[in-house]
Amino acid sequence: MAALPWLITTPYWRGILVLCAMNVLLALSLNLVLGYTGQLNLGQSAFFGIGAYVSTILVKTYGWNFWLASLAAVGAAGLLGLALAAFAVRLRGHYLAIASLGFAVITYQVLINWENVTQGVRGIYGILPPVGSTTALFYLVAGIAVLVYVLLDNLVRSPIGDTLRAIREDEISAASLGINGAIWKAFAFGLGAAIAGLAGCFYPGFVGTLVPDAFNIVESFTMMAMVIVGGMGTMIGPVIGAVVLTFLPELLRGFGELRLMIYGLALMLVVLFMPGGMVQAWNTLRKRLA
Amino acid sequence: MSKSFGGVRAVQNVSIEVPENSIYALIGPNGAGKSTLLNLLSGIYQPDAGSLYLENKPLIGLPAHRRVRLGIARTFQKIRLFKQLTLLENVLAGFHIHQDAPFWKSLFYGDTGRFRDEARELLEFVGLADHAGERAGALPYGQQRMLEIARALATRPRLFMLDEPAAGLNAAEVEFLLKRLEQIGGRGVTVVVVEHNMDLVMNVAQRVFVMDHGEPLFEGTPREVQANPAVIEAYLGGEFQ
Repeated sequence: MAALPWLITTPYWRGILVLCAMNVLLALSLNLVLGYTGQLNLGQSAFFGIGAYVSTILVKTYGWNFWLASLAAVGAAGLLGLALAAFAVRLRGHYLAIASLGFAVITYQVLINWENVTQGVRGIYGILPPVGSTTALFYLVAGIAVLVYVLLDNLVRSPIGDTLRAIREDEISAASLGINGAIWKAFAFGLGAAIAGLAGCFYPGFVGTLVPDAFNIVESFTMMAMVIVGGMGTMIGPVIGAVVLTFLPELLRGFGELRLMIYGLALMLVVLFMPGGMVQAWNTLRKRLA
Repeated sequence: MSKSFGGVRAVQNVSIEVPENSIYALIGPNGAGKSTLLNLLSGIYQPDAGSLYLENKPLIGLPAHRRVRLGIARTFQKIRLFKQLTLLENVLAGFHIHQDAPFWKSLFYGDTGRFRDEARELLEFVGLADHAGERAGALPYGQQRMLEIARALATRPRLFMLDEPAAGLNAAEVEFLLKRLEQIGGRGVTVVVVEHNMDLVMNVAQRVFVMDHGEPLFEGTPREVQANPAVIEAYLGGEFQ
């Protein structure tokens, strides 16, 4: 991974590397809620957007230092994640999904309409990345992604991971073991939201401009596609899914704007034929060859 | 306590007192309200009226997960295992209330493995130690039942309630279950068994509480219950052998 920016030399593809690192962070964040805690969260794009807008507004309008602004943005995303959870944790299955989708819609509308603060669809321009070159930005975001991966991996191996998975498998019998489902679901939601917000802090500087459309509802589904196609409920799955679904549409760019179609198709095929995603495919292949 | 669901009076003015350190059976024909009563005791339902105490601690208002910390554990009539997890992971999840590692430790050190040995002992106790790494969903039914018991025991309960544990088990498995329940009782745990299977009840229980149509019918030793005419009639005479 460290060698990648040296192997990939065009600025365009280096940019894709940065995007890939961001998508890894987003996929990891959603996997914590969806894959490990079993909660269908369709609102992750909102926290990505909150991270982007809060950090950018603090820097551009109030002159904050990028790092402090990012810290605040991560905190804001995490707190809003907890707030959504407090409302939604008593809901099951498709009701929770609808509530989270509703939250994403509301956030998107706030970003568009609260023009005094967010500039709405006009957008915010001239946003500088925290470090000079694309290569440096890649190392930064990828480094953070690696750190988050390691910490989350520890977390899911710990008793907390056992607790989250118990909730995913059967919340009622988990309660019969003393597990407070509401608190732990809120924890997963909040932490997932904070990590998505963290990814969001690097997005505006990478693109240079910030418009609400980047946080459209459909982005929640693209994140979900990465998690599920890669392998939901494993640590490496979301990473694989993010890498594959970031590079695949780019490699097929000759066929036009195919990104969403590829995601949709991949998601459908995986859900129908290999629900465990590429991780499951890999394990099945290993068993066949053994 | 009393509990109704819409117009159905599932439990009506049932007063029950479970002696500490006993093996106590709760029996009755289908629809008697036994499972509802168990759900009231474990906290899945709150009663419409009445009171509930564990020793002197009031339980009314406490949700199910809080009662576990007071020492109440239970199994379910329909087995609710964590199917995608291994046997060992299922039992480890049961130690939740005993986990006290600070958050940062989980973040930086991951699995501390504190309860692995005890988890393996529990699997040993129910005869499943050899399958520790297998997926719980792949187990045959009788073994799933025993896994559920091992997992509930991980909470280190003082009161252990089982909802029809013998349902679906063959004779050998029932025998195995009986021995385990006796051993659990022997360790100072109060055991409450909701059962349809009279063999289990008569061989293992010290006292029996009989319900019918949501109301209490009789309470006594297994011998007394077997001889009681009202009980015999409620079961239409066919179930005692």
